[in-house]
Amino acid sequence: MWLMKAMNNSAALEKRKTIENPLKRKKGFEYYIKRDFLLYLMLCIPVAYIVLFKYAPMYGIQIAFKDYNIFQGAGKSPWNDFATFKQIFSSLQFYQVVRNTLVLNGLDLIVGFPAPILLALLINELIWTKFKKVSQTILYLPHFLSWVIIGGIVAQLLSPTGMINSLITHMGGEPLPFLTNKYAWVATYAFIGVWQNAGWGTILYLAAMTGIDRQLYEAADVDGSGRLGKIWYVTLPGIRPTIVILLILQLGNIMAINFDRPFNVQNNLVMDFGDVISTYVYRVGIQSANFSVGAAVGLFQSVICLIFLLTSNFISRKLGDNGIW
Amino acid sequence: MKTKALKLTSILLVALTIASALAACQSKSSNGSASDTPGGTASGTTNDTASAPKEHRTLTVEVFDRGKPGQPDLNNNFWTKYVNDNFGKQFNVTVNFVPVPRAQEVDKLNVLMAAGQAPDIVFTYNQGVVYNYVQQGGLAELDSVLQQYGATLTNYLGDDVLKYGKFNGKQYAIPGKRTVLAGDNTFIRKDWLDKLGLPVPTTPDQFYDTMVAFKEKNPGNVSGVIPFGYSLQPPYPGLGYIPEAFKPSNLTEEQFATFQAQPIWMSNWNLPGYDKAVQYMNKMYNAGLISPNFAIDKDGKMLDADVSNGKVGAFITNWDGPYRTAPGTLTNLKKNVPGAELIPIDPWQNDAGKHPKNGYSPNGMYIIMPKSSKNVDLAVQYLNWMADSKVTLFLQNGEEGVDYNMVNGVPKQTGTTNSGEKMMTVANNLDYDLLSNGIELGDPQKNAAAISAGYPGFEKEVENALKVGMTDYYSLYYYSSPNTADAKYNSALTNLSAQMLAKLIVSKPADLDKLYKTLVQQYMDQGGQEVQDEYVKNYKAQNSQ
Repeated sequence: MWLMKAMNNSAALEKRKTIENPLKRKKGFEYYIKRDFLLYLMLCIPVAYIVLFKYAPMYGIQIAFKDYNIFQGAGKSPWNDFATFKQIFSSLQFYQVVRNTLVLNGLDLIVGFPAPILLALLINELIWTKFKKVSQTILYLPHFLSWVIIGGIVAQLLSPTGMINSLITHMGGEPLPFLTNKYAWVATYAFIGVWQNAGWGTILYLAAMTGIDRQLYEAADVDGSGRLGKIWYVTLPGIRPTIVILLILQLGNIMAINFDRPFNVQNNLVMDFGDVISTYVYRVGIQSANFSVGAAVGLFQSVICLIFLLTSNFISRKLGDNGIW
Repeated sequence: MKTKALKLTSILLVALTIASALAACQSKSSNGSASDTPGGTASGTTNDTASAPKEHRTLTVEVFDRGKPGQPDLNNNFWTKYVNDNFGKQFNVTVNFVPVPRAQEVDKLNVLMAAGQAPDIVFTYNQGVVYNYVQQGGLAELDSVLQQYGATLTNYLGDDVLKYGKFNGKQYAIPGKRTVLAGDNTFIRKDWLDKLGLPVPTTPDQFYDTMVAFKEKNPGNVSGVIPFGYSLQPPYPGLGYIPEAFKPSNLTEEQFATFQAQPIWMSNWNLPGYDKAVQYMNKMYNAGLISPNFAIDKDGKMLDADVSNGKVGAFITNWDGPYRTAPGTLTNLKKNVPGAELIPIDPWQNDAGKHPKNGYSPNGMYIIMPKSSKNVDLAVQYLNWMADSKVTLFLQNGEEGVDYNMVNGVPKQTGTTNSGEKMMTVANNLDYDLLSNGIELGDPQKNAAAISAGYPGFEKEVENALKVGMTDYYSLYYYSSPNTADAKYNSALTNLSAQMLAKLIVSKPADLDKLYKTLVQQYMDQGGQEVQDEYVKNYKAQNSQ
């Protein structure tokens, strides 16, 4: 949403630039307020939302640096000289969950990120629109299933006595430890992610593809390019900005991991790889009411995410692509 | 042009941020003063009350909202009217009930406490939460109030129960009384035993052989037979009662207190013999005797299904597990496999020939009163009124002749409390009758009879299960001061225990010893040793006085 708005704004500005007289460039603050009063008023609503629900709660971050006492409140609890952070950084489990988060997210980046691009390319090549629409819808559907349900399905399908393993044993094979061996589990985790998200991820790419100028394809035809050639020389370069932006966003989230997915798919045999920051924060921060620890780990995670986001944005700009801002 | 517009928007943004931050601060400070004012006036009213004791007051009491379909208004129904018509009239008080969602009870309680808006009487089953509040100084001290107003209450609960509400020598909580102390039972398919002509196993070795026989002969003729059904549930990582069989019977009190500080169905890695119990389980796993899905079955639902489908030979669960209406394991099993029969057995015999069973301590939920409450005296008077056996009988059963009839001294429900205004959202109305956790008729034998009446169709079985479950019953050692290291590490260690157990059970028998040592060392390093040391310290302190 924000991205699209930003794009629209800059496009509009671009247009105005060409129309307006350069002599009247210097306009006061009030001029714009007056001219676009209603627009600013409308903008106030999302801004207020962000401020109220995203910035104001940051007041509570201070409990990460305090011995939080719920009866005294965040403001009056005593400062604790980074004792919370010292405790976290000296705990072995913390490093394990950070490593796991990076590994699982890295894997998602390698496997999960290209998947929707490939899928979008395939869908884009379909000519029969009806089939295209139907297959697209079917591909979206898993996105709307909650992870609790997916967790249940996965357990039923992939457990040692699950459907797939029953099939394998009936055909005379050995059951595969999809969920019970930690290495196999990581692969299962990545695959489920692709299954759930690939279809949904195609939406943006397909939208970007429709924006590609048809004339380019015609020109490619004239130059004697085949299907693959058109994909490689027209479609992919056409959606490159979209890919870059989404890649930056995902890199920015490399330390942030969604809670439901690992929590519902993990089990005690694979916790060496399955325990991640979000499940750790839930367990330590919420379940055992160590709010300071939970807040500190969350803050640490956010700071790392911010660093990643800024770095990847910086690199992308250096390489000549547009960053996200 | 572009930069100008950007500047403008950022100025706007900053302005808005500041404005809303200011607004937030303002609302904060006004909140502060608002909460100050009632405090001031309230202290005034307390003084007034002291001079004129019959001034009308309002008492707020937490009630669990279980979200049962068709439940009445939890603050305006048959039971709340009874409370207000009796206690209310007698003490010139209006009692208001504040519903709290059952599933988010602790979260919600934290919020209410933090906001200083908790009802005068709140409760939780979670000892850690109570201890946290005590440490943070948020609870009212009850010693003097209890002495002044709580004669019936103290008498009903007795020191055995009340002591669980003491922290650092002071009474901060009033524990409810648990009337059923049984923990778990081991169940076996009697029809399978009969079919194979096997006796009921009474030792771990016999049990193992029976499981092997179940596996090899598959008496139920099912595909994928599971001789011993087991699920490793992360919040309760343990081996049921199996460790009881391997625990030496001659532990000293100190060893018992410090090595088995958690219930036996959790993981007590320091407990002598625990390694043997793990080894036993490992042997069963490697012989293909236990549920292959035990680690994936995080909530025990797969196990329930396997039992209901007649695949499981034996399993350990709550003492009344199969007889409960939810999930209705035995009912479903009988439907799926006509002639199926489950009986509670006692195979975990120790070196002294006994079958010890760790059960629950006699305390139920912790009833606490926030320090911010101005009605602590009234709250204790309320509980004191509730401790009266007549009141308890009414709150748990309703009106005699209408809602229940006395049969052999045991109330038999007529069914009027299943719906409408009189609906009990939980058996025996425990959400309103706070003091007893389970039916309370003032006599253990009557209680047992009343309990089995609560399992229609399985009365005899339940009576027997309770008897087996209470054979050689014992409860954990009582510590008068809580373990601060445990409070800190408990959730991390519980989680670690679950991972350790999973790894140990599936390990190759040859590697087990080494793996066990490495993992236990890890456990100790990650806080286990600290917890252990504090138990020893607390034990010594408690017994030197």
